[in-house]
Amino acid sequence: MPYRILVVDDELHILHVLSLKLRNAGFEVHTARDGEEGHQLARTIMPDLVITDVQMPYMTGLELSSALAHDPTTASLPIIILTARGYLLDRNDIDSSNIVEVVSKPFSPRSVIDLVHSTLERGADRTSPLEAA
Amino acid sequence: MKKTLTMILGCLMFAILAVSPAIGAGLLWVRESGGNTAMVPWFFLWIISAGCLFAILLPVYLAARSTLGRLQVYVDSADDRLAPSAPRGPFWLRPVLKTFVETVEGFRARERELQMNYRDMEIRNHVGTTARMQIEAVLEVMTDAVIVTNTFDEVVLVNSAAGRLLGCDPTNVIDQPLQEILTDQSILEAIHSTRSEGNLVECRTLNQVLGGVEHAGEGPSCEFTLACVADHREEVAAMVTIIRDRTREEELSRMKSEFVSKASHELRTPLSSMRAYVEMLVDGEARDEESQKDFYRIIQGETERLTRLVDNMLNISRIEAGIVHVDRELVDLGSLVEQAVETLEPQAREKNITVHKSLTPVDLGVQGDRDMLYQVVLNLLSNAVKYTPQGGRVTLSVDSDNLTRAVHVSVSDTGLGVPPQDHERIFETFYRIENYKRFAEGTGLGLNLCRHIVETVHKGQIGLDSKLGMGSRFWFSIPMGEEAASRAA
Repeated sequence: MPYRILVVDDELHILHVLSLKLRNAGFEVHTARDGEEGHQLARTIMPDLVITDVQMPYMTGLELSSALAHDPTTASLPIIILTARGYLLDRNDIDSSNIVEVVSKPFSPRSVIDLVHSTLERGADRTSPLEAA
Repeated sequence: MKKTLTMILGCLMFAILAVSPAIGAGLLWVRESGGNTAMVPWFFLWIISAGCLFAILLPVYLAARSTLGRLQVYVDSADDRLAPSAPRGPFWLRPVLKTFVETVEGFRARERELQMNYRDMEIRNHVGTTARMQIEAVLEVMTDAVIVTNTFDEVVLVNSAAGRLLGCDPTNVIDQPLQEILTDQSILEAIHSTRSEGNLVECRTLNQVLGGVEHAGEGPSCEFTLACVADHREEVAAMVTIIRDRTREEELSRMKSEFVSKASHELRTPLSSMRAYVEMLVDGEARDEESQKDFYRIIQGETERLTRLVDNMLNISRIEAGIVHVDRELVDLGSLVEQAVETLEPQAREKNITVHKSLTPVDLGVQGDRDMLYQVVLNLLSNAVKYTPQGGRVTLSVDSDNLTRAVHVSVSDTGLGVPPQDHERIFETFYRIENYKRFAEGTGLGLNLCRHIVETVHKGQIGLDSKLGMGSRFWFSIPMGEEAASRAA
């Protein structure tokens, strides 16, 4: 059974290209256009990993990460953050959620696939993204 | 010598003439006294002695008077260049004259010295006054506050900037204790400790909020420079405190960082798509020709988006910097509106949006840059079409107002409307209503560029009337062209 990945981004092209790359890599992909929709979908489909943008309508990626971390059903869900403002993320944002990696835009879909693989392989043994950087 | 001899002979003759009546009177007295001749020799001796004495004293008197006269002229001559030579006088007066002349020469030398010193002091005073006035003028035009205090922490000098910052009258605080005008205890202590340390080489710099002054918020954020001023004994004689209000500077720095951050974010977004799709093509992820074409179309679209973004950023920064080239001519805003409608008609038709034009049949000419004004009309119309749902209506109207002598253009739609809290912010750089982003793509710079073109370049006005869910009406007005304005008058 393939891993289930939830991709959340308000940029349609990013959503499309990541979905395609992940599907081609054999993952089951679900998409959402904003944080709120992503939160609802995560609770419904229970993905193995979430890839989310930061700046989105209704609920930001950080708010989504925090909401997922505080929800018992999604508390252990690993999250990869895609951001065009990586430097705005501080330690508290990362520590208070399950963010395992922070990827700066523009990104390489290839490297995102590698990150997804390594994150899923690591399972519960998470490495702090700041330490990894 | 000859003159002196003549004078002596003259005096002798005068003496004989003066003595002769006395001799005659003596002889007459002898004859009348009965021939007593015993006293006659004494009488003549006395007469002759008196005559000789008179003959001697008279030339002495005359010579002394003449010498004193010349001496007077010599002493009175203030201007050295015209002064006569020192009088020589008779030999018996020469030692006295010599001493006197030497004394006069001494006084004169001293006078010359004093005059030179006086002139020197006058020059120094003039130079000092000029320098002081220059320093005061510099201090007055300085935007930094300057406070000079003495060793007793009393105010010696305060410039206008300090007066403004601290809310005091610089002319009324001289000799007042420093704490009368500066109430921030930490700064007072810093000034005191800097003076006590007496470091004459290095200044002390502090960055902190200045307390105790009237200011919106917590107080101005200031940079304090404290310096000791030394006297001729190399001891601290005064303290100079320079206060630079960095509030505006920090605000600008914050705005700049924010702009760079937003610009970076906005530039990265299309770049992300471009990079990702190019990599997908390279990796052969587009499985068929149609997918490849889709990828190329997306890359092309994102390239155009990036170009628009960069163009808008450059145009805004050029206008802000005042280096934009403005090609002013008489522009008919009515024809610009018609042109813009024609351009955006296909997009509107695609969404089944009806576009109405309402052009008042009067002169709608303004003095302005045709391309820039066209961009404003096009941006507003494009936004209206983008944020109006399928089947909606967009209305453009152009009218001239003789009262304000301006031509008004408005673009109304039946779209989403703008929340009241976003009415002003919507014209800021990179500001987009977060929840509307999914309705349409945008750079977040279009309205800001419109504001710059209307307000900065054309001295017009731009604004928005809108109710959430009830559509929006964006409008702008440009001062009439000279011809239309003169007709309106």
